[in-house]
Amino acid sequence: MTSKAPAALAVALALAAGGVVPATAQAPIRIGASLSLTGTYAKLGKNQHEGYQLCEKDLNAKGGLLGRKVQFVVYDDQSLPATAVRLYEKLITEDKVDGVMGPYSSPVTEASVNVTEKYKKVMVAPLAATTSIFKKGRKYIFMVISPAEVYLEGLVDMAVKRGLKTVAVINEDTLFSKAAAAGAVEIAKKKGLQIVFAEAYPKGNTDFSALLTKLKAANPDVVAAATYFDDAVALTRQMKELNVNPKMFGVTVGGDLPEFYDTLKQNAEYIYGATQWEHTLPYPGNPEYFEAYKKDFGHEPSYHSTAGYAGCLIYAEAVKRANSLDADKVREQLLKLEMRTPFGDYKVEADGFQVAHKMVTFQWQREKKVTVWPDELAQGKPLFPTPPWTSR
Amino acid sequence: MLAQVIVSGILAGSLYALVALGLGLIFGVMRVINIAHGPLLMLGAYTTYFLTTRLDMNPFLTVPVAMAALFVVGVLLQRGLVDRVVDAPELSSLLLTFGISIALVNLAQLAFTSDLRAVEYITGSWLVGGLAFSKSRVIAFLFAAGVTALSFLLLKFTRLGKAIRATSQSREVAMVCGVDVGRIHMLTFGLGAALAAAGGALLAVIVAIQPEMGGVWTFKSFLVIVLGGAGNYPGALVGGLLLGLVEQLASLFLTTQLSEVVAYVLLVLVLLVRPSGLLGGRQT
Repeated sequence: MTSKAPAALAVALALAAGGVVPATAQAPIRIGASLSLTGTYAKLGKNQHEGYQLCEKDLNAKGGLLGRKVQFVVYDDQSLPATAVRLYEKLITEDKVDGVMGPYSSPVTEASVNVTEKYKKVMVAPLAATTSIFKKGRKYIFMVISPAEVYLEGLVDMAVKRGLKTVAVINEDTLFSKAAAAGAVEIAKKKGLQIVFAEAYPKGNTDFSALLTKLKAANPDVVAAATYFDDAVALTRQMKELNVNPKMFGVTVGGDLPEFYDTLKQNAEYIYGATQWEHTLPYPGNPEYFEAYKKDFGHEPSYHSTAGYAGCLIYAEAVKRANSLDADKVREQLLKLEMRTPFGDYKVEADGFQVAHKMVTFQWQREKKVTVWPDELAQGKPLFPTPPWTSR
Repeated sequence: MLAQVIVSGILAGSLYALVALGLGLIFGVMRVINIAHGPLLMLGAYTTYFLTTRLDMNPFLTVPVAMAALFVVGVLLQRGLVDRVVDAPELSSLLLTFGISIALVNLAQLAFTSDLRAVEYITGSWLVGGLAFSKSRVIAFLFAAGVTALSFLLLKFTRLGKAIRATSQSREVAMVCGVDVGRIHMLTFGLGAALAAAGGALLAVIVAIQPEMGGVWTFKSFLVIVLGGAGNYPGALVGGLLLGLVEQLASLFLTTQLSEVVAYVLLVLVLLVRPSGLLGGRQT
């Protein structure tokens, strides 16, 4: 079927990467993961995969883990939760991997975690940002990135400080985007903004004309869109076509990728995005990580890459401290652990929910992402307000 | 607001009509439901992408090139594979074209990777009397209308067109009258693929290009030809515009989430009330 070829490639890659390191006497520690290497989330899933690959390389360069080499076993779930469930089942029962790492995206994690919980496997889930996943009494799942609910906090906060009054919230109708939109609505209400328009659209939607026509009629000061990549691009293009001119327009995922600017060119200017990580942030090891990644993969890492890298480091650190691969011992360490990686801070509550990591908001300014929020991490001031499309 | 949404619906509908016409032609002549229609559209979009980025061609000038290229692909597919199942039970042709579809999508993933590509050509819109006409979509509309009109002229007035229609009405009688039915099958499949490619080439400037972009177009085209009447060529036009309008109006009056639901409920209603489509089934 469709997943075979990329999966075989991934395994071959993993083997090739492992081959560089001097072999140790014992069999390697095999860590399984299902990733979205094709399909809707392919772009982001691949970055996460590269984060895992770099982590594997770095761990092995330092002598591996518990004296054994580390080797990733990766399959492609085509961005489909049901496929990921099957793949984790296979990784755990057929391949008998020693540990697992999380897949890409909240919906895929939400589906897969049922398998890992069933077999009592610790899963550090670096790219699951939906709070509810961690609030269902699960024992072995750990969060790395900030929750979906705070993605648009920076946008809303800046809007309030600039005296804006009304906001429209739109989102893809999937787990992560819904949570990000709900979080934005809640924060906006709390800060005294009025929600003048709110609507969801189905995954894979390409034509936003009717939605944007309605939104335009509501005339919001701020448009907060909980998106992935395709819809963020399509929304921006159609906002220009329909001449929709909010004073601020922000997106969630996808807006931080270099491809976002490459695709939209100057139309991406002034757009706000939220990101979990930037290579310019002052975290330990961040610059070295950034250079090594560029060297290995020929392009810059996104936050998905870095979250994957950091998640893998966090899991490895917990294994090291537990001096064991036993799920309960590793879990105990993961609950106690406080760690700074190139991705920022890690610390979780008793249910595995992330509480230490910080989100930043940036704006596209002259082909560059400039961090504009929060103030203590900001590199520059936001260009405000966003000029109408007709006068750019 | 209503007028704006109707404009958007007609612009979207013209593309549906163009692409569905290709699917309808193939079904009319061969009774084959080509599941690979969407993936052929995807190949058309990639043709445009590579011609514009590598050879700096104007994306709209790539439309005939993409059509010609996919015409050849269509002819080869028909000669090599589809021809073998034309007389087989319909399930065989469904399975075969489903297989071709999976193969094309995966080959595209290997060859082009699943990175999202986009052709950034003209963005923005013309404002006429308070209505926004998206530039890229209006030009796509004009091309779609042109290609659709040419296809109708071809079907109506040329010898080839008459032979195609004759074959679709009754293969045996066409054969008796001296029509080379095998050749007509081949050319029709090529033409169908070319129409899908035209749709893909036009979509290239509107949406992001990726190997799986075609799937939804197979289903939408199918919906359109069932709405309009399978095997009835003007029906594709009516069905396409209707689908475009229904989707947009449902987004406006209900929500965007419900627009697809409404489109498929419409399909069920049409099948219940007028099983042969709004304009009736194949012309006899």
